[in-house]
Amino acid sequence: MNQPIPAFRSSRRGFLGLAAAATAGLALSACGGDTTTPGTDTSGGAAKSIRTGAAAEAFYIAGMQWAAPTNFNPLNGAPAFPNAADQPELIYEHLLRWNMLNNKLEPGLGKELKAVDDYTWEIPLQDGTKWNDGSELTADDAVFTFTLAKDAAVTYSTVWLYLDDVVAKDARTVVFTLKKDPYNPLFVANTIARTPILPKAYWSKLTNETLISDTNLAPIGSGPFKVGKYDQTQIVLTRDDAYWGKTVYGTPPMASFIHPIFKGNQDGDLKLETGDIDVSQQFTAQIWKMWEKGKPVSTWLKEKPYHIPGNPITLVINLSKKGLDNVGVRKALAYAINYPDIASKAISDYSSTVNASLILPEGSEAPFYDQAAVDASGWKYDSAKAIDILENELKCTKGSDGIYSLPDGTRLGPWKIVTPTGWTDWNTSCEIVAKSAQAVGIDLSTNFPQAPTLIAARNVGDFDIVHFGYSAVSYATPWARFRDALDDRGVAAIGKDAFWNWGRFADPAVPALLDAAAAEKDEAAAKAKYQQLDEIFRKNIPCIPLMYRPYQFFQHNDGTWTNFPTKENAYAPPTFGGQGILWVFKVKRVGS
Amino acid sequence: MRFSSRFYFALSLVLLVLVFVIVGPLIWSVDPNASIGGLFDPPQGVGSLILGTDNEGQSVIANLANGARTSLLVGLIAGIVATTIGLTIGLIAGYAGGLTEEILMGMTNIALAIPSIVVVILLSVALPQRNMVTLALIIGITAWPWTARAVRAQATSVRTREHIEVAKMSGAGFWSILGWDVLPYLLSYVVMAFVLQVSGAILTESSLSMLGLGPSNIVSIGMMLNWALAWGAVRVGAWWAFIPPTVLLSLIAFSLLLLQSSLDEVFNPRLRRGKKIKPVAIPAGQATRQEDYISPHSDGAAVGASTLLSAEAALGNDNAGAFADTPVPQERGEH
Repeated sequence: MNQPIPAFRSSRRGFLGLAAAATAGLALSACGGDTTTPGTDTSGGAAKSIRTGAAAEAFYIAGMQWAAPTNFNPLNGAPAFPNAADQPELIYEHLLRWNMLNNKLEPGLGKELKAVDDYTWEIPLQDGTKWNDGSELTADDAVFTFTLAKDAAVTYSTVWLYLDDVVAKDARTVVFTLKKDPYNPLFVANTIARTPILPKAYWSKLTNETLISDTNLAPIGSGPFKVGKYDQTQIVLTRDDAYWGKTVYGTPPMASFIHPIFKGNQDGDLKLETGDIDVSQQFTAQIWKMWEKGKPVSTWLKEKPYHIPGNPITLVINLSKKGLDNVGVRKALAYAINYPDIASKAISDYSSTVNASLILPEGSEAPFYDQAAVDASGWKYDSAKAIDILENELKCTKGSDGIYSLPDGTRLGPWKIVTPTGWTDWNTSCEIVAKSAQAVGIDLSTNFPQAPTLIAARNVGDFDIVHFGYSAVSYATPWARFRDALDDRGVAAIGKDAFWNWGRFADPAVPALLDAAAAEKDEAAAKAKYQQLDEIFRKNIPCIPLMYRPYQFFQHNDGTWTNFPTKENAYAPPTFGGQGILWVFKVKRVGS
Repeated sequence: MRFSSRFYFALSLVLLVLVFVIVGPLIWSVDPNASIGGLFDPPQGVGSLILGTDNEGQSVIANLANGARTSLLVGLIAGIVATTIGLTIGLIAGYAGGLTEEILMGMTNIALAIPSIVVVILLSVALPQRNMVTLALIIGITAWPWTARAVRAQATSVRTREHIEVAKMSGAGFWSILGWDVLPYLLSYVVMAFVLQVSGAILTESSLSMLGLGPSNIVSIGMMLNWALAWGAVRVGAWWAFIPPTVLLSLIAFSLLLLQSSLDEVFNPRLRRGKKIKPVAIPAGQATRQEDYISPHSDGAAVGASTLLSAEAALGNDNAGAFADTPVPQERGEH
């Protein structure tokens, strides 16, 4: 034991020790390698950014399908691409298509919406509409599609609150009769534009239950594509060369439309950058880095905010929770949140700083927006004001841990703000909210469960604060958003499923105002109604808007296909659903 | 005791990390949760922006210093928990023997057979609120089995030594013998096991955090990596968001492992590098006094004999006691 020991001579134990350390290091780096560069293994050559050969005939899309397809049933809650809501009308088509750029309902399977009078609408079908099994698509199919929602509980069943009848005037004309009370032309028109028309021949064989559970694995649609093949890695749609709309819309230039299925955003982002994906609806942070690197990637705008604002994301507060039921606390929270930070970091500058309003300040809702009212009775990021409200208005006392308590002893927290795990921008936004709240003395922390778990909890009211979006921009907004945030009609009590107004807000003035706003034809008069609703929102703060998320992310790589709509080339809205289908017909092969 | 220069190197690495963790938050005193810049601002100048900002515009260096503290604390708590459980079970099983040993070791083997990372993930998902302490506890209560097994083997070899008999004859009770006559012989081993547990726990915490199951409302190295990954730091070339945490994490794990292996040399003469220890003929009974390891590969013929004995003792073979020249083979089950 007293012999001098020269250091760093080899020995078995020393070797093993070093080997263990090296293995740990390797394992660590291997682990890092696995998770930081997913998807590169199948990219098939990072060197070529423009695809050639058969791959160039196909069109690749990402961001709409995250798991192996289980059904192609549009009546189901979770159908596979492209049959879910807000996805391109490649298989099932709608009677009308909403165009986000002009807020108009444009032709789809139907030629136009002809208002015979306030309560009677006629939609004549386009000439020669056919299903892709060759049979005729008639007004009967459309009538069947809407009528089935009377009995079966499908997503558009609520339209029958406002709809009296749907009949076929003749083989090629559908007639909608609206109820006089309640009268809601906005909601009905929006539903018509969002409902895929189904072939009666197939769907009439199903019962009310199997309508929803049917897997519909070989869907018969009317659109320009058919399901080719699908597995857990991709969905391949092949062009239907007998498409009825060739004379009306033309022929899509791509032979197939492919949606690869990724595990996370990183795979799709990398492939968009390399040109293996042509268009992506994923949240991709700092998209501008791609064109700064010289990649042919583009968005609607090449400068801030890059996309058209469309989806205000809000903090929905559970008004049944002690402490959160105090409007003063909600007001303090509204002042505490660092909105500019959320815009510049959580949503990567794809949003301007949010305003204290449920109306979008730009686009189709702009005529109803009133900046002066927002400035007069709204809030903005001001943590000193938040503390002032807590201390002077609410007479809160600060505990030794820096968290305030109300005079009755209710501590402000711990409350959890929840949103689905993996929704990167939302997760970061929650982090910023929690840190903002902690900074003024409200104990908020984040929790990110799996999406299905969270949505179930959200609907039954099992949450403190949920970070989610009410209605994204549509033909029916801002009406639909006010309904979602303020209307307590049709909202089940805590413990049962509610599909809007998750915080269970109620105000006696809201229902009448909403009904009046829906029926209003004059824009100025409608604006007055919406402004009253907005004031009720600002006074009671049942939810706090945080950012304007784009309605859809529309990011494209022009390496293989080009002529995507941009602000300079605005022939179609930068969307996937509705009139966004136009660009599917208009994109061009590079070099062709 | 003489320490090798490898030990001093390892120790200085560990101290370097500790200094960074303790002094770092004082030097870069900006709140790690405060937004001081834009999304992934590159490193600039000195001070809080020396390593740029992360996806929330927070100082990377301040997060690193505070995050390393969280990681070390998680490692420490988890290490203490795992070592305590493992030591207790191992000691009792090894010394008591008999049915107690069978039951405790049965439990340990079952626990060993379950991949602990799966248990850790399931537990973290199930928790309503994940904070640093609960996470450390979860890691601790899933990491003990190998310590229990190793300690039990050591304790079994100590059980057959004369001084235990002396203690028994002088009327010492079960727990007293365990604490005063068995444990001291294992302490060096326990220290090393503890260091390994700490380093393992730090890595487990990072893996969990990287999967998004880390502690909420607190900075940790794993959480930094998780956010860097989620925000595509690799794609946008924000190397400052993921390289520094990776390097620091590797440094912590490496220095602890190096410390453990150099301590091993200090405590276990046969592993010492330098002059080969000459085989010395030692009476078998005394040979067990050396800090043996189970199944050490024999370095020399004479040492081999003693290892064989202790190995047999470790196997719980009663006859081994008799060979080892102990006066009375102890009866199982009297405790």
